[in-house]
Amino acid sequence: MPMKITQEIKDNTVIMTLDGELDASSSVILDEELSDPEIMRYNKILVDCQELNYISSAGLGVFISHLQRFEDAQIKLIFYNMQDKVRNVFEILGLDLLMTIVSDYEEARSIANE
Amino acid sequence: MLFTAESTLAGTSAPGFAFSFLNNLLIVVFIVSVFLFQRLHTEALKGTDFIGYLWNLFSKAGVAAYLSVALYLVYRVYTNYTDEQSTLLLHLVYQVNFGLLILFLAKAFYIWRQLLLYHKNKFLQIAWDWFELLLGATLLLTIFNFDYTSYVFLPLIALMGFYILFLCTNMKWVAYLTFNNKSRSLVLLGAILLSCYIFARFFLNTADSPELVTDYTDVGFLLLAMSFVSMYSLAAFLVSLFSLPTSSVFEQKSEDLLNFQRLSLSIQQGQSEAQVYDMLVESTIKASDASAAWFEIIRNGEPQVTHLLNIQEPQIESIRHLLQEYNIHHMDYINNNLSRNPGFRNLALPWKSMAILPIKSSKHLSGVLYLIKDVEGGFDQETVNVLRTFTSQTTLTIENLRLVNESLQNERYKEELKIATQVQESLIPKTFPTDSWFEISTHSVAAKEVGGDFYDFLQLSESRIAIIIGDVSGKGISAAFHMAQMKGIFHGLMQQDMAPSEFMKQANNALSRCLERTSFITSALYIIDYRMKGFMFARAGHCHTLYYNSMMDNVFYFQTDGLGLGIIRDKKNYASHIREMYYDYNPGDVMVIYTDGIVEARSPKNEEYGEDRLLYMLEQTYHLEADDIKYAIINDLNDFTGPGNLYDDQTLLVIKFRPTQPNI
Repeated sequence: MPMKITQEIKDNTVIMTLDGELDASSSVILDEELSDPEIMRYNKILVDCQELNYISSAGLGVFISHLQRFEDAQIKLIFYNMQDKVRNVFEILGLDLLMTIVSDYEEARSIANE
Repeated sequence: MLFTAESTLAGTSAPGFAFSFLNNLLIVVFIVSVFLFQRLHTEALKGTDFIGYLWNLFSKAGVAAYLSVALYLVYRVYTNYTDEQSTLLLHLVYQVNFGLLILFLAKAFYIWRQLLLYHKNKFLQIAWDWFELLLGATLLLTIFNFDYTSYVFLPLIALMGFYILFLCTNMKWVAYLTFNNKSRSLVLLGAILLSCYIFARFFLNTADSPELVTDYTDVGFLLLAMSFVSMYSLAAFLVSLFSLPTSSVFEQKSEDLLNFQRLSLSIQQGQSEAQVYDMLVESTIKASDASAAWFEIIRNGEPQVTHLLNIQEPQIESIRHLLQEYNIHHMDYINNNLSRNPGFRNLALPWKSMAILPIKSSKHLSGVLYLIKDVEGGFDQETVNVLRTFTSQTTLTIENLRLVNESLQNERYKEELKIATQVQESLIPKTFPTDSWFEISTHSVAAKEVGGDFYDFLQLSESRIAIIIGDVSGKGISAAFHMAQMKGIFHGLMQQDMAPSEFMKQANNALSRCLERTSFITSALYIIDYRMKGFMFARAGHCHTLYYNSMMDNVFYFQTDGLGLGIIRDKKNYASHIREMYYDYNPGDVMVIYTDGIVEARSPKNEEYGEDRLLYMLEQTYHLEADDIKYAIINDLNDFTGPGNLYDDQTLLVIKFRPTQPNI
């Protein structure tokens, strides 16, 4: 199943929706999206993981590689609606302590606006 | 040979009926020998150099006619000047001219034969062979001194005439002449025709001359050969003349064909995409006779002009803008009357018709070709068909080029994987220490694509052993390389005998300097001390350790925090993300260490094997030997995934602590 990544800008916030499986090949697309200099104009990125069924180490690697850059630029990266098995992958790797993972959009919004 | 025959002929010119037969025989021998000589020595056609061939004919044979004229004129001037009739001199001139005629005829005859038989079929070959045979047979008439003008032979001669006419229809070679070549061939053919005329006139004029003993017009063969040569020359002349206006069309067609061929050959010649586009632009501009053109490559959805002809960037920009407005950019579009369209009229372009041809395969648009002409209706159906053939050929070529490149890439990739697999295999220990206080069983399979699992051990002291398991993200040679690094770090750092958490901190520090940003390593390190009957461990983002406690008869996962290596690259920060745990074991306890290839293995229905099923399996098997526990889990896993469903490396270590401890 190929990955579908959609982006919309709402209230000065990038809302990125991941749909499908984030494996080695689709993580290249994700990397391109996150590397887009345009994205640096916004200081909040919300990632909707509702339809994200699987994340491979390559997919995690992409998020990890951008983590420091976003932090330095004071951009908040918030994941929400994450499926349990995907969340488990984040947790095993210890990423839940580095990244903000919340249950739903409202919570993501409120944390983003803090 | 020629000269001996001639001198003989000249010698026999003395009157006498008894010599008639001998005379005729000598003539025939001379004719036959010259013709045979030419037949054997006519060069074969080289390619389609017909002009060279015609020039050869003219320069070597046609000139003979002009020589003979010159010779006759010299004779006339001489006789006028000296005012005396020299029969001998006249004979000499006549005989020399005869020799020249035969030379001309023989040469022309066999050159025409080559051209006539160009692209021959079997029927034509047979027809020609018969013609030669029949023509040769007419020499018999001369030998026996029959008069071919008698009523018996006239119909036969006439039939031969028709035969010649039929043969003259075979001139496929004319079609291969280009416009320039045709004009040149017209001149040459004209000169050759003139030669024919000169000879015919000379011999007809001198026919029945009272001063001459021999009369070669009596030789039927000569008449037929002459009529063949002159008729074929005339036919070639006329055909060239009338095909002159259409030759440019054929030239264009054959050039188009050649260009198609060049395009399709470009893969074998290892040409790049840019070269293919060069060819496309050049060929289509020629084929359509366009007055302006440009070609743009589509890169990431943005057009990028690579070829320009007689058009400025601003003009391109305005046309592109208009097409976008009409929503027909990147579409196959022909407009043969731009001025009728208000949008184009407003642009005030100096052109009248336009063709847009996208280079597009089923899914990929690689470029768009724009051709513009300054006449209305510049792109008729025929031209458009040719252009479309060009573009589809280019599409095919580009597609094939990409496929070739991809397969090369694949080949390289496979080679890389082979190396990676070898490295991986060499890094994993083949044997584990066997001891009486614990048993260990290992399982490890490498997937085709993803590599990076590893495990290793190090005996720290007599009673202590360090076991490490890890998974490097990424695949191929870089994963194998990081694995080797990790193994080096493990052996290097553990020489100093440090606590697992300290090891992780130092390993993270070391790896931060060499891992690329998207790579990370998950790892878990266990130091088992059987004198203390306990083990210490730290988990760096690696899968949770599954454990069976025999005292509590309970199977569970150690839920400890710990961040993967290479994720946070700042030393102090990482220290707060790693936890260390100490656990006392009981005899009969089982520890299962594994990589995510086990718990993330998929069934054909795309379900994950999962931690729960692994836990359940240990609950069922903890009482078995370590080997049997491993086999039970692996068998269950293989049942779950089905055959040929391996996407990630799978590594599984089962450690069982024995109830009986050795005395130390």
